[in-house]
Amino acid sequence: MPRFLELAAVRYAYPGRDDVVQGVSLHIAPGDFHCLIGRSGCGKTTLLKLAAGLLQPQSGAIALQGVAVTGPNPDMGFVFQTPTLLDWLTVLDNVLLPITLHGQLQAAQRGKAMDLLDQLGLKDLQSRYPQQLSGGQQSRVAIARALINTPPILFMDEPFASLDAITRSELQRDLLALCQSQGTSVLFITHDIAEAVYLADHVSVMQDGAIRHQLAVDLPHPRQPALRFTPDFNARCAELRQAMDGIA
Amino acid sequence: MRREHWVSILLGLGFILLWEVWVHMAQTSALVLPAPSVVWQSLWQGLASGYLWPHIVSSTRAVVLGLLLGGGVGFVGGMVLGESARLRGILMPYVVISQVVPKLALAPLFIVWFGFGTLPIVVMTGWRCFFPLLENTATSLQEVDPQRLELFRMLRASRWQTLWRLKVRTGLPSIMAGVRVAVVLAWVGAVVAEFIGASKGLGALIIAAQGSMDTPLMFAVLVLITVLGLVFYKFAEWLERRLLRLPVDSQKKDEK
Repeated sequence: MPRFLELAAVRYAYPGRDDVVQGVSLHIAPGDFHCLIGRSGCGKTTLLKLAAGLLQPQSGAIALQGVAVTGPNPDMGFVFQTPTLLDWLTVLDNVLLPITLHGQLQAAQRGKAMDLLDQLGLKDLQSRYPQQLSGGQQSRVAIARALINTPPILFMDEPFASLDAITRSELQRDLLALCQSQGTSVLFITHDIAEAVYLADHVSVMQDGAIRHQLAVDLPHPRQPALRFTPDFNARCAELRQAMDGIA
Repeated sequence: MRREHWVSILLGLGFILLWEVWVHMAQTSALVLPAPSVVWQSLWQGLASGYLWPHIVSSTRAVVLGLLLGGGVGFVGGMVLGESARLRGILMPYVVISQVVPKLALAPLFIVWFGFGTLPIVVMTGWRCFFPLLENTATSLQEVDPQRLELFRMLRASRWQTLWRLKVRTGLPSIMAGVRVAVVLAWVGAVVAEFIGASKGLGALIIAAQGSMDTPLMFAVLVLITVLGLVFYKFAEWLERRLLRLPVDSQKKDEK
């Protein structure tokens, strides 16, 4: 399998503290949906920021498509824990922010933004402001913004943690469809086992700054919400739960 | 208009009426406390004869220029100090000293430096009003949501873009609050500076009226300064609403 995003023996410590990430190696294949799961404080968000170039590792190497990652680059999309929209911009302008920051807007890019909003069910809300949207709609705008440049990889940091269960499952379904249609690889942080199993092709369990368990989720695509109630699904969840308990 | 507004206006009118009645009843000398009707007469005469206008123009010009100077220095200085912790550490004590020093006592020195005329008054006004803008700008730039900063880093925004398109924009409510305070201080600064070293302007006119024991004129000028200060304040408020205009905000205000 070609190595698309590659982390090799990555180590990181915040100044004056012990290592948060202790020599993690991780490979993500093109189009792979990879979930990183673990309890609060296990270093998963730090690892995500390292992969995205927001932090620099003290040792180890990170490469995207064979090129060393030394900082954020245009081939990456990032979705934060909260939607982090700019209140003074409309939905459309928020989605187009990554483009307008770097030059003139072209008609094709506006069309691309409209397509994304359409796929995320926000077409009619393009001229609204973030405060006029529900939490789920705001998360959708944040996803559209991260995908506006069609990045080959998307980093997501517990983006749905604050949403209610139904809204969350709708967003999971739409995110999967969108990433599949664009062939986007995803590194997705969560602490929710069911979310990880539903979304991921591969799950890594993180504990104390290291990856302790890996699971390939060989459930069929496209995944439908009904999948959550099947024995296969529950077996995967149980395995992950056991892995998390076993190392606690 | 809502009921509180009417009550508020009635309260003011009631106060003026009481004042009028009291002056007549107590036979107070117009030298000490002129009745509102006398003040109004003095004001109207001054406006109709054209006597007050050059002073109004002179003071307004000084305030506008002083605001531009002080506001410009305050805003740019606030951005510089907000961006650089090192410069903040070096310069902030002196900025504070410049505000604590009794500015009024320095006015005679200003006249020595800048001569009589508009310049010392503009400088004094600018000095008076740069501080709230500097303070508010510098503080607000440091209070940006760290996740938004990370977003701009992720989007590879330049330092200038992050400053202008994120920090200044996020700090705008606070910066505009600084502008509102500056507008009020500018009128205080200009009038006080005119007390000391001007032959023209509303502050100079108060001193002149005092010299000729024309108390009604003093009150008339006070009214003028108050009205002009209010107009400037309302303009700052209007500007703030325009700059911060969002449909959601206006909806919220309507609901209140």
